[in-house]
Amino acid sequence: MEALEMYTTDERSDVYTEELKLNLGPQHPSTHGVLRVELKMDGEIITDSRCDIGYLHRCAEKIGENVTYLQFTPYTDRMDYLASMNNNLAWSLTVEKLMGLEVPERAQWLRMICSELNRIASHLIAFGTYGIDIGANTPFFYAFRERESIMQLLERPSGARMLYNYIQPGGVRRDVDDNWIGDVLAFCDEFEKRWAEYNTLLSNNYIFIKRTANIGILTQSMALDYGCTGPVLRGSGVRWDLRRDVPYLEPYDEVDFDVPVGEGTHGALGDCWDRYWVRMREMMESIRIIRQGCAKLPGGEVMTKKQTSMYKSPMKAAEGAHAYMRCENPRGELAFYAVSEGGTSPIRLRARAPSFCNLAVLDQLLPGTMLGDGVAIIGSLDIVLGEVDR
Amino acid sequence: MGMNEREIHALLTASGIDGVGGLEQPDLDPTVVLQPSALVEVMTLLRDDERLAMEMLHCVTAVDREDRVDVVYHVCSFARHHALTLRTSVAKPDDADESWHPEVPSVASVYAAADWHEREQWDLLGVHFTGHPDLRRLLLPPEWIGHPLRKDYVYPSEHGGIPLELDAVPIYERDEREDTPPVAEPRPAGTPLNQPPSAPSARPHAGGKAPAKKEGEG
Repeated sequence: MEALEMYTTDERSDVYTEELKLNLGPQHPSTHGVLRVELKMDGEIITDSRCDIGYLHRCAEKIGENVTYLQFTPYTDRMDYLASMNNNLAWSLTVEKLMGLEVPERAQWLRMICSELNRIASHLIAFGTYGIDIGANTPFFYAFRERESIMQLLERPSGARMLYNYIQPGGVRRDVDDNWIGDVLAFCDEFEKRWAEYNTLLSNNYIFIKRTANIGILTQSMALDYGCTGPVLRGSGVRWDLRRDVPYLEPYDEVDFDVPVGEGTHGALGDCWDRYWVRMREMMESIRIIRQGCAKLPGGEVMTKKQTSMYKSPMKAAEGAHAYMRCENPRGELAFYAVSEGGTSPIRLRARAPSFCNLAVLDQLLPGTMLGDGVAIIGSLDIVLGEVDR
Repeated sequence: MGMNEREIHALLTASGIDGVGGLEQPDLDPTVVLQPSALVEVMTLLRDDERLAMEMLHCVTAVDREDRVDVVYHVCSFARHHALTLRTSVAKPDDADESWHPEVPSVASVYAAADWHEREQWDLLGVHFTGHPDLRRLLLPPEWIGHPLRKDYVYPSEHGGIPLELDAVPIYERDEREDTPPVAEPRPAGTPLNQPPSAPSARPHAGGKAPAKKEGEG
């Protein structure tokens, strides 16, 4: 708002600009996908904004009503395509809750390690592309180098680089190879050094701080009101993480990690830098979780016996049952809501996508800021349009 | 810390708000059943009561069932570590068709998060949220007809002049009698092969495409 007061035309009565409607997106690199924002501009200052979404709507919920519970897992990959493991996990947990499936212990630990690896990969994209949004190109290449290592690690058990379909109702699809744990630990050691590099490169960069501190301030009450979750909520100072508070996987209870929150280090609490810095610290917490997970990984089966029969004759959920399952994804809380009427597929499937709710607050954050800061704000929300539109 | 669903339900019943019903599915996600008329009042209570402190509306889902349309609300509290599922229903009249829109009061005045959630449910299921500040379609284009997640939705045959039925665009002719995918006929010798101008193998200064007569691969 300060910017608005500084630059409004009232102050310089001889200079005026007519209101300009500006169409940001849908094909614009700074919108991180196919997001379209209708902006009303007064010179360089945004006076009004209206999001237009739906360009990537692929009817995932409708498809879910027409395929079996097991068949829907690959579709969840394609929602938040940067965090497929976490999406698989959320869907698998929903089905397990609905049908009362037990998951072997080893599978639970593998799920945790894989989804934390995917969280780092996802945050690396957020970090790299945020640099580009602000005008720093180098971090992107650094981030993709480490992301490549993670993708190669996750490819070994799952066979895919991005859309894994690895975590499935009943466990995980197959066990990891013998060297995998050692390679994951080697990656952790490597990553810690790289993480220090990122901070010298971008986090503590003077220009970067100037561009992000005190920009796009999201207050706690607004974040809660609009249903923001994940790093966006934690950036505003709310210490809430499902992994710690409602451990949806047993191993999360047995590992030790912190929940970083925004502290207003370089400006007001809940600004773009706070959200960015929460993500950066979360990567290191994930490394901590992975290390402990690798040390404690038990042996045994990775898939329940029941699941093999699910392929041959699809399992049915109880009539009238419905289950809502929340999971902490890199972008916030992903929840699936499945309603059964006794058949092999749900009669209604709802995906509560974190990016969808985080994006809803954008129209409140943009008015009063400069256009260039608007790009910084969109980037700091770290949305994936595949998930917004589903 | 935190209350379970039974305690919250007891608290809601004791609050004296008209239209708070029973608790269903007690073993898996217990759900409080509400009359639509009680919705806004209950939501306000859930948000403002110190003991409940439901700061966030997590999700709004409409469900099209055989005889009714449900709207399911998931709310949760971070301060109190508890969550609740609420359901309200509108019965379907006997003559309900695609143009029938169940009416449920909007809770966008209580939780801002309801704004987009309700717009999406209106878009996909045609639930009319009365009192919503801006009930437009969210995901589908504004000119779209119908609400695709309804069970009585009729699939359009075309959109913007493009046929949508898969049968309308035959991908290949399938031999019905033998039920085997067709095998591509080998090209006869001398078939003109279109060498596109932008093919990577095209020479840079060839100047446009030159249809080459080909004999097999030679």
